[in-house]
Amino acid sequence: MPEFSHSVWYAPLFALIPMIPLLPLLAAGWIGLSYAYEGNRGESGEKITARVAIGASLLSLLCLLLVDLYALLTGHAPGQVHIVEWLNSGDYHINISFTLDALGLSMATLVATISLITLRFSVNYLHREAGFQRFFMILCLFMSAMLLIVMSGSAVMAFIGWELAGVSSYLLIGYALDRPTATNNATRAFVTNRIGDAGFILAIFLALTWIGDVEWPSILSGVSEMSTLTAGLLAFGFLLAALVKSAQVPFSPWIARALEGPTPSSAVFYGSLMVHAGVFLIIRLQPVFEQTPLMMLFLVIFGLTTALYGYLTGLVQTDVKSMLIFSTIAQVGLMFLECGLGLFDLAAWHLAAHAIWRAYQFLSSPAHMHLMSRPTRPVPAWLGRRRWLYTAAVNRFWLGSIGDWLLTRPTKTLAQDAQNFDDKVIIPLVGLPTQADAISSLAQWEQRRGGHHPLAEGDIGLGHGLAGKLMEGIASLLHWFEEQLVLKGGGEGLINAIQRVGGQLQKIEVLLSQPRYLLLLIMATFAVII
Amino acid sequence: MGSLTQLLITPVATAVLIALLPGQNQRLIRGVALFGSAIALLLSWRLFAGFDNSLADLQFMEIVPWNPRLGTSYAVGIDGISLSMILLATLLCLVALAASASITKQVKGYYILVLVLESAMLGVFMAQDWSLFYVFWELTLIPLFFLIDRWGGKNRQGAALNFVLYTMGGSVFMLLSLLVLFDTLPGHSFAMDQMRAGAHLISEQKQVLIFLGFLIGFGVKMPIFPIHGWLPLAHVEAPSPISILLSGILLKMGSYGLIRAAQTLPEAVISLQGVLVAIALVSLVYGGLLAWRQWDLKRMIAYSSVSHMGVVLLGIATLNFAGLTGAVMQMMAHGLVAGATFLLIGLLYERTHTRNINDYSSLLRVAPRFAFFTTIAFIGAVGLPGTFGFIAELHVLVGGFERWGWLVVLLTLGVLISAAYAIRTIGRLFTGPVRKEMQDIVDLRPSEMAAAIVLTGGIVLLGIFPAPALELISASITQLSATFAAHL
Repeated sequence: MPEFSHSVWYAPLFALIPMIPLLPLLAAGWIGLSYAYEGNRGESGEKITARVAIGASLLSLLCLLLVDLYALLTGHAPGQVHIVEWLNSGDYHINISFTLDALGLSMATLVATISLITLRFSVNYLHREAGFQRFFMILCLFMSAMLLIVMSGSAVMAFIGWELAGVSSYLLIGYALDRPTATNNATRAFVTNRIGDAGFILAIFLALTWIGDVEWPSILSGVSEMSTLTAGLLAFGFLLAALVKSAQVPFSPWIARALEGPTPSSAVFYGSLMVHAGVFLIIRLQPVFEQTPLMMLFLVIFGLTTALYGYLTGLVQTDVKSMLIFSTIAQVGLMFLECGLGLFDLAAWHLAAHAIWRAYQFLSSPAHMHLMSRPTRPVPAWLGRRRWLYTAAVNRFWLGSIGDWLLTRPTKTLAQDAQNFDDKVIIPLVGLPTQADAISSLAQWEQRRGGHHPLAEGDIGLGHGLAGKLMEGIASLLHWFEEQLVLKGGGEGLINAIQRVGGQLQKIEVLLSQPRYLLLLIMATFAVII
Repeated sequence: MGSLTQLLITPVATAVLIALLPGQNQRLIRGVALFGSAIALLLSWRLFAGFDNSLADLQFMEIVPWNPRLGTSYAVGIDGISLSMILLATLLCLVALAASASITKQVKGYYILVLVLESAMLGVFMAQDWSLFYVFWELTLIPLFFLIDRWGGKNRQGAALNFVLYTMGGSVFMLLSLLVLFDTLPGHSFAMDQMRAGAHLISEQKQVLIFLGFLIGFGVKMPIFPIHGWLPLAHVEAPSPISILLSGILLKMGSYGLIRAAQTLPEAVISLQGVLVAIALVSLVYGGLLAWRQWDLKRMIAYSSVSHMGVVLLGIATLNFAGLTGAVMQMMAHGLVAGATFLLIGLLYERTHTRNINDYSSLLRVAPRFAFFTTIAFIGAVGLPGTFGFIAELHVLVGGFERWGWLVVLLTLGVLISAAYAIRTIGRLFTGPVRKEMQDIVDLRPSEMAAAIVLTGGIVLLGIFPAPALELISASITQLSATFAAHL
């Protein structure tokens, strides 16, 4: 927007904009470094950690509010803000830029507010937890990531935030490092998310190839000149990313497993913020989807299916968090449905309202047991009568098992086969030692001390593997050659030969010194002379 | 008296001084020897300071006619190649003397012989007259024979005899070549420059025969396959300080002589280029594989010397600038590396009295300083980037590739093999299970460490910043490679 760049307020505001996602990132960095150098460890370090985290996010929110205020007063959102060129390689230019239109600004404000509240909530909730500092660091990281997604000026910037959010989500699901369930679920959630990332990367690649630019405005305007097929492919990439991030069917199972993290993290990640990132992406790309009826149809189908799935599964859940998460999925499904029907504005409003409401619900979920006055509602009668549907709902429509059966198990078997191949063929061939030479246990040490030397004498010059055996063979051959011919035949042989010749000469000398031979010699000489 | 003559007589003068000292005072003798050797080192660095890198001509020339009827003269002078070898020799002599603390019997004789040896070696590198060269060449044999024969290991007599016989056998061929050359040339002079100037008058066939004589004479010393038979025995039986000198400098005399011979007879070298490369590559792989197979540490380093000198020969055989630069660099690098490895392994042997690698284990715990310097030395032997050996091998590789293309892949094979035994040795010495009998080894003492620091420091420093060494020899090498280019 030209108005923005001509205003006197442009320069100070311009400087503030990059600070918005940067501040929480810096806070995260400080917490990590300070922990590494033992600055904020232990209970005594909680206060300063919390202060830095909350201070940074508060500052970030204030900056945002300033920009908001400016937009409200002038009536113009700043729009596309170009900061600096980040990468310039051949035809590809990628900028660090922000898209601060009405959607971006309002979403960013929402993200910053909810993050700040969650951070404040966590100060008490995680008090005296061993991982207090770690939790705050990751939460700050996540806040920065979410701000980057909603403020991003290009698909690449959004992707950076997208990945950061994925990583911080992974770290928080595995918050309880010592619990195998937590770490397993974290891995699972992360791996599922990578499927969506593949879609995102595909979309970035297509945008770079066909449009030559990844800035949102360029993508949105560029897509109008593309055929339905190519636009559809581009939209499909983004759709895949959105479906996974927002846990739509068939990628839903990861989000239920993600609840292993501490409650506040569940609130921001899966209740209110990250789960909506997919919807945000769809709304951001409204013209792209409007261009492709097929993708709109997909939105409707996936949204509707997820809404039903979330609704039915949610009905039969017995714990607070699961119930909440399935109802969240159902609501997000509805947002996809709304987008598919072309009601993007409605979806945006729905998103904002739902985010705030869910954040409240999740944060208060630990207290639900105390707040509840009557027993949990039983499963509705109509569902109870349909046994097949009930079973399906209780089993969450077997989505997780199907995923296991289709992907996890074949991958595992394949990996096992590869491992077998490696053990039986590659390692003997290459000659990698199967076990290290170092002593790993006391028993091993005793065994060695007891006279059994695995590193016994004489294994110098023994090779392992194909190349090693070849080398061993050649070296033995050369060794034989060296010993027999060069050393014995050459050096010693020379000495022996000299000694032998010397011996012979000695004999001749002895003979010559005997009178009769001397006489003979003299006579022979005379004979010659005469 | 010119500065070269001063340098040349300093060790001998010290030897004479020691001869006058009473034999019981070992500390005094050692001190005087170290002092004399240090003076020689300083004098060589003074030469370095006064040397003009940009000139390819001989500098510090001194010519005194010796026997005009025979055409011999006392002619000394240095170019970049000679100076690099002189610097190496004075340094290694000092290090070897410093490492001689364990020599306790007949100390007087020992130091006298080492100092005479030093003078003789310096003479070889600065002689500019083939007769003088030959005199110094043979002069090195006498002290070495006694040093190995009297202060060596169990089998020292055999080793000393073997060494002298081999070298003398080679020298005979060299002398024959020299005499033929002298006889054929119209000038009837032994001066190197005159021989160089007149060599083109000889038919190529005769040149080849003469050069083959040189090749045998210098090849024994280098040593090259298959006339390296003296080397494992001599290195193993020689006392450790003498091993440093043997592989650090004595071997370089061979390659240095070969370069001078090649300079004299360029046409012969060009026609024998293929043979030289073949010998070089065989030596390279052969020495490496045998080194890999040895359990005797000294023997292993001895064979690794064969392999490394193969690199030198390969560099010489390329006859181009990069290759020749690499050859001289490798001579310096191997001098430092062999000096450092023999020094450290020798010191280790003094403490444990075993050279069997299987007897060692987990020394890192008891002797971390040993571990540190030995690791650097062996890494230098492999020629890892960041060490001087890498600079040398890279030049040889580049030069070899220019001339021979993919054949030099064998050089990388040699490097690979050297990595195999070097890393194996490091692993065996310093890691592995704890052994009781290896628990009370004394780590490097300060004076020993100083020697180790100088050598390993040189390996690393010249590896990171090789410019001074390259500049020192570049003018001479340019002239040398131009000689061959003119005949190619």
